[in-house]
Amino acid sequence: MAKIHSMMDIGKRAMMNSQTALQTTSHNIANKATEGYSRQRVELQTAVPIVEGNLQMGMGSRAAAVTRTNNPFLEKQVQKETGEMGMYKGREAALGRVEEVYNEQMNKGLNQYVTDFFNGFRELSNNPESLTSRTMVKEAGEALVKDFKRVDTQLTDIQKDVDQRVKNEIEEVNKMSHEVASLNQKISEVELQGIPANDQRDSRDLLLKKMNEKMNIKYAEGTGGMVTVSTAGNAILVSGYDSQQMSTHVNPNTDRIDVFYTPNESTPPFKITDRISGGSVGGALSVRDQVIPDFKDKMDQLAYKIAEKVNQAHVEGFDRAGRPGVEFFDLPDQVAGASRELQVNSEITEDVTKIAAAARPGAVGDNTVANVISQLQNKEIMDGNTATIDDFYNSQVGRVGVLSQRAIKSREAQGHMLDQLTNIRESISGVSLDEETTNMIEFQRAFDASARVIKTADEMFDTVLNLKRL
Amino acid sequence: MRVADKMNYNQVTNNLSKNRTEMNELQNQAASQKRINKPSDDPAAAARVLAARTEERGSKQFIKNINAARSFLEYTDQSLSELSESLMRVKELAIQQANDAGGSAETRRTVASEIAQVYSQAVQIGNRKLGERYIFGGFKTTKPPFDPSGEYHGDDGDMKLQINKEAFIAMNLSGDKVLLGKGIGDDGIVRPKAAVPRDTEELQELKTNEVERNEENQRLEQEPIALRGPASVSRGTKAYTSVADAATSGINILQTLKDFEIGLRTNDKAEIQSAIDNVDASLSQVVNARAQVGSRVSALNAATDSLQKAVVDSKSTASQLEDADLFEVMTDMTKTDSTLKATLETSGKVMNLSLLDFIK
Repeated sequence: MAKIHSMMDIGKRAMMNSQTALQTTSHNIANKATEGYSRQRVELQTAVPIVEGNLQMGMGSRAAAVTRTNNPFLEKQVQKETGEMGMYKGREAALGRVEEVYNEQMNKGLNQYVTDFFNGFRELSNNPESLTSRTMVKEAGEALVKDFKRVDTQLTDIQKDVDQRVKNEIEEVNKMSHEVASLNQKISEVELQGIPANDQRDSRDLLLKKMNEKMNIKYAEGTGGMVTVSTAGNAILVSGYDSQQMSTHVNPNTDRIDVFYTPNESTPPFKITDRISGGSVGGALSVRDQVIPDFKDKMDQLAYKIAEKVNQAHVEGFDRAGRPGVEFFDLPDQVAGASRELQVNSEITEDVTKIAAAARPGAVGDNTVANVISQLQNKEIMDGNTATIDDFYNSQVGRVGVLSQRAIKSREAQGHMLDQLTNIRESISGVSLDEETTNMIEFQRAFDASARVIKTADEMFDTVLNLKRL
Repeated sequence: MRVADKMNYNQVTNNLSKNRTEMNELQNQAASQKRINKPSDDPAAAARVLAARTEERGSKQFIKNINAARSFLEYTDQSLSELSESLMRVKELAIQQANDAGGSAETRRTVASEIAQVYSQAVQIGNRKLGERYIFGGFKTTKPPFDPSGEYHGDDGDMKLQINKEAFIAMNLSGDKVLLGKGIGDDGIVRPKAAVPRDTEELQELKTNEVERNEENQRLEQEPIALRGPASVSRGTKAYTSVADAATSGINILQTLKDFEIGLRTNDKAEIQSAIDNVDASLSQVVNARAQVGSRVSALNAATDSLQKAVVDSKSTASQLEDADLFEVMTDMTKTDSTLKATLETSGKVMNLSLLDFIK
């Protein structure tokens, strides 16, 4: 048989449920702009009914749980694609700077200095007697050497920049590992009681996404809702409540920063730089360790070859005073580092009459050697005698353009994809104000109505209590 | 589809940033007037632009070379024309004095001093300078090539200037050839090779050949009997001019003048008569040299024309590759502008719509 008490009880619980729902709604509205937030719902269920005689009486509703609306598979996909995005962004940023080193659209670059250098020798062949044209050759040589140095220095600067970036980002990842570990603990504590740890899970998902954006990580959820995070193959960053830190040190051999991982105190740290392939760190490292060394190597080859060939011809000649030609450039010992170390021979910078234009001693007007040197510009001396200096250098400019263009295009494509995924994610988990407003009205009405139920029950009590008086 | 608020905001942000980026790009193109501002804008074209610029600078340098060569050659021609005029006068005098009807011992003595004048004028012409450089000294451009006795102190070097990627042209005639007739015809003297060494190996080869050539020539100088030997076999061809040396042998113009003068002074009719032939040969030697100079100058002119065209071509190649089509940029800009306005307008509408506005 129905009882007024039950009615009051149902009303009371309904009011509480509405309050819970309204509080969740307000939580949703408050976190409308929070990154990584998944909207939450109160799962209302009918309370356990009671059976009296042949009647089953509903006992109102109860709030079973507050859950978040979230698609874990989608989250994982967003995280993965964010990692790719980080990688392309890292590459794009670094390549954009490499490209600037070779950008001659607006200002003078190596291409022009090379031309100027050989035109200097052509001018010298017009007038080998003149000290002015000799000085011009010297100046053009020094400008060429300086520009080789500029290219090398700028490329090294980009590598140094990447170093700094890697250092900072590894520190951030370390911090995030630490946070993930502490969230692991909170989640397992909460969920042990069978309560979903919504907000903590959102935070942890966001952290994992951000870690992925920095470097490629792998993670899996284990017992108690805790995730194990590993990177670069087998470097375990988070396991249960614990997190392991990575460290960065300058490698004395390469002068570049390397990333190390220490599994535990008894094991020495091991290098994981080569195995970081994703995220912004991976992207920047690929430019630092693959693209730039290759470009530097090509510049070194160019500098060395020019110096070697010019020297070979120059020493065959005779200078203005009829002395045998000295070397025009101080030829570096080896190809590696040639663009950095190349110098015009100090004998020549101090005395331009030592520039050897003549093939005959004592013939001041002889320009034969100057002609031989100026012809080097159009000779196929690079790449195993298959490319001219200009071809070789221009192809480098083309290559850096292609690399940078590809990075931009990949980043754009990845951006579109990520936008779409994010849209789908928001479509599922995002907060809609309209929806929340509707819910708010709905729950408020429910709250009002429940109050009315209690009031009605109260009046019913009154009626019952006043029975005797009548 | 369920539309969460964030989707709206993300969309607005993305669309606006896309439009703004496009606008920015177009503005940059309009300001720089360039389609390519960095290699990644069009990698292949960026590399070709560089090649075109190198080409342009190279062509401009070759034009400079040509101008240097032209002034040298034109001055040579002018000097030689003066010499040939004097030689014409000498020829007239020789014909006049060759028989007793035209000349007597007395007139011959007078004419002799005129010839002495011509001689010193010829030496002076041989010592002509353009700027600081003696034009008839071969490679030895800093010292006077002829002394008053007619002795040659220059060398036989040809100063070759590059006039395009493949070709060189000699900008001088050495005095020993023009005035002393050395290396013309079959006197056995070997002139330097016309070809310019293209690399160090050829340069080394040239230097070795030079040593042999000099030894051979010195031997001939000391023993001035025409010899037939390996030297004449390996004699350099007279390239860089279509005008070949016409005479079978060269003639020493200074010596001719000197001999003529002596002939006049000694009233030696036979000597004077032979002078007519020799002056004739001298004249044709000078005329021949002038023809060589002329053919070189016309080669230079032809090369200048094609280089000037090449400069324009390279410029227009670079321009076609890298310059922005302003008309297109402006059209695109108008388009992007209206898109941006539309985006802004719709964004404002989308973002202002909320159920909250309708609940009182």
